Amino acid sequence: MSLKQKESGEIKICLSSTGETLDSQVDPRFGRCQYFLIVDKKTGEFKSIANEGVEISRGAGISAAQIVANEGVKAVITGNIGPNAFMVLNQAGIEIYTGVFNKTCKEALEIFNSGKLKVNQDPTGPGGHVGSGQGGFVPGGGRNQGRKN
Amino acid sequence: MKKIAVTGGKGGTGKSTFAVLLVNKFVKQGKRVVLVDCDIECPNDYLLLGRKLSKPVKKVYAKFPELNKLKCQKCGKCVKVCKSKAIFMAPGQHPQFLKELCSGCGACWIICPNKAIRAKSDEIGKIFVDKLNKKFYLITGLARPALEETSPIVREMKKFVFDFAKKIRVDYIIFDTAAGTHCPVIMALLDNDFAYIVTEPTPLGSHDLNLILGLLKKMKLPAKIILNQADLGNKGSIQPILKKFNIKKITQEIPYSKKIVRAYSQGKLLGFQL
Repeated sequence: MSLKQKESGEIKICLSSTGETLDSQVDPRFGRCQYFLIVDKKTGEFKSIANEGVEISRGAGISAAQIVANEGVKAVITGNIGPNAFMVLNQAGIEIYTGVFNKTCKEALEIFNSGKLKVNQDPTGPGGHVGSGQGGFVPGGGRNQGRKN
Repeated sequence: MKKIAVTGGKGGTGKSTFAVLLVNKFVKQGKRVVLVDCDIECPNDYLLLGRKLSKPVKKVYAKFPELNKLKCQKCGKCVKVCKSKAIFMAPGQHPQFLKELCSGCGACWIICPNKAIRAKSDEIGKIFVDKLNKKFYLITGLARPALEETSPIVREMKKFVFDFAKKIRVDYIIFDTAAGTHCPVIMALLDNDFAYIVTEPTPLGSHDLNLILGLLKKMKLPAKIILNQADLGNKGSIQPILKKFNIKKITQEIPYSKKIVRAYSQGKLLGFQL
């Protein structure tokens, strides 16, 4: 677990989601997900934001990163993330957790809270054009996740 | 001087082959022609003609934003105005410019209230000119690899082409576009008298025909249909689309021909007549 997670106080987490509730599936794509769920880690309260960038021809990753950064989140949980979004989120100091497939947002949060997700060091794909991943949740089991730096 | 675009939506329908055949026809009629390869991400008209790219005659520059951090007040206006989503700003931090996504439109340095953004020129591509004979000039544009927004190269190349064409007094300029309906294609299609759409009677061909006709309608650019490899596939598949866009006839059908394919694959299309 990283230092940030150990700190107390309000910590907001973003999940890429296919729907507007915690029972929705995690959207495997970050830049082109349907919704962002912004969850307060402490209270469990959440809100959903529709992803306006889902249909733009390019720059979806940056658009998504901007929406998420404006919310002041500390971490992003998703399936795959492209290089542009990865780079700017990383520079903004937002932690990126990938490789979450075939899970509801609620399940993903439980796995995250148990400390079983690892911070990503690399983007995992070209962004919105990646299909849904295989293998479900295993730390390091998503697309390209097993790769060593 | 007539300006004609050759486009098609789908890739591999024979746009470049047709463009070269069109030039060959005009040259045979004694006309002077400039063929412009606007597929700047992977130009290949020169290959079909058995030529090599020589030294570039011109480098293409575009202006990109550069931040003066001392002047920047982190107001975020540049982020909001950017239609290319090429600017990111984390709360409380300076904006970051993503050059690969930037179209160089200049909105950010115009809107910046603190004059903190400077326009900095950078090379994005090259232009090559090849004189094949007295009547036939080939102008090729080439984008810098990994550049995402390539339409500024087409824009700059067209300026060059119009100046060049006036000087040497050409009868026709043929703009051979890339596949697709995105910005570099739109840029190549602008300012033409009409466009030939090279398509094929396949599901993909008709799907993309629908897209390109939709674009040309928006641009109010008249379309003429060239059906390549007309005897293969299912001609019926494109009829409903022609009807939808009120196109009465197919201008020319080109049957599959081993002779063309052979000339194409050997780079021997120069002078080839149908």
